[in-house]
Amino acid sequence: MSHSTEIDSKQAWDGGTSPFGVSYGKMMMWFFLVSDALTFGGLLVSYGFIRHKYVDVWPKAENVFTHFPFIEQHLPLAYVGLMTFILIMSSVTMVLAVEAGHRNDRKKVTIWMFWTIVGGATFVGSQAWEWYHFIIGTETGALRNVWSEELHTYVQQTVYGANMTVNEYGVPQFANYFFFITGFHGFHVFSGVIINLVIFLNVLKGTYEKRGHYEMVEKVGLYWHFVDLVWVFVFTFFYLL
Amino acid sequence: MSEFHDDYPSYETLAHHSEEEGKPIRKNLWRVFWYMLAITIFELVVGSMAPSQGWSGTLGLKVLFIGLTIVKAGFIVMAFMHLGHELTFMKYAILLPYVIFMSYAIFIILDEGVYSGDPQNRTKVDPLLIKQQEDLKAGHGHHAAAAEGHGPEHAEEAHH
Repeated sequence: MSHSTEIDSKQAWDGGTSPFGVSYGKMMMWFFLVSDALTFGGLLVSYGFIRHKYVDVWPKAENVFTHFPFIEQHLPLAYVGLMTFILIMSSVTMVLAVEAGHRNDRKKVTIWMFWTIVGGATFVGSQAWEWYHFIIGTETGALRNVWSEELHTYVQQTVYGANMTVNEYGVPQFANYFFFITGFHGFHVFSGVIINLVIFLNVLKGTYEKRGHYEMVEKVGLYWHFVDLVWVFVFTFFYLL
Repeated sequence: MSEFHDDYPSYETLAHHSEEEGKPIRKNLWRVFWYMLAITIFELVVGSMAPSQGWSGTLGLKVLFIGLTIVKAGFIVMAFMHLGHELTFMKYAILLPYVIFMSYAIFIILDEGVYSGDPQNRTKVDPLLIKQQEDLKAGHGHHAAAAEGHGPEHAEEAHH
């Protein structure tokens, strides 16, 4: 843990040490994460703006996400709570893999990385399930004035579920932002699972054991925690508030 | 593969620790996990109580949820991402630019976005949608509001 001044001369700056005290790769991962966090920050700020513009017709999450797999009951927000738990849990298994990497314990790294991948894949699947129910909507649907191209006028009809133009739960903007932000986040999770899988295969192959350190696990771990970090904010702004 | 640091100690290996040193680290990580789980459960409980208690949309609830979110974010960044243990210079190189840019973005959207509060400045909202949301607020519930709309259709079916 301690930052010794005795380091590889090729990595040192002219003062004989790096003022950042981290390797180049890790610092670049951090810089990438800052830029990615700015993207998500911008999206969430714009979400807040549109939400307040349509505050009187903005649907409440507890009226939208009420389903739970295999249970026919009305359980608002229960499933998203479970999804959040799964993602936090996979963040913990990831950090335990990183810690095992610091001890060069290949067996433990393998086990914890495996569970991280399982957690990530479960989360992506859950999100697909949530999207599916949001898109097909309820059995009753809701009445809307929908523009008809043939008649060149608005026609009253019952709409079911949500897409980019109609949303049975409230204003279409809610669905637009929901699809864009959770979709963008979900794609990050999906990429994270793929990258984790690649690193996992390298661990199995013994690449990092040969190299003498497991810093690649730490770098991919930073990305994975970032995905969890974004979800914490998405969860608050889309589901709780 | 170009591995350039075989004989030298490097930043990559500086983080190494023994099994003994790892024990308190793991203990701390699990403690952080329990804190985060407790916060999330608390949030869900408060969130599910909010509509019946009339807390929905109140400033206090928003401040509570956003505050707890920032606490959770702090746990993730400082403990899981290990930023709390990096050099002070590294910490600020990461956090300060982000905090400055985001504070500016939030400030500018609050300051320049006030015009949109004027109903004239927003796209016309479907009156049926407004009625649905008013019914929901009045406590008829989603299903009741939708069933009302279905009324005439069912009557027609009866005629056939």
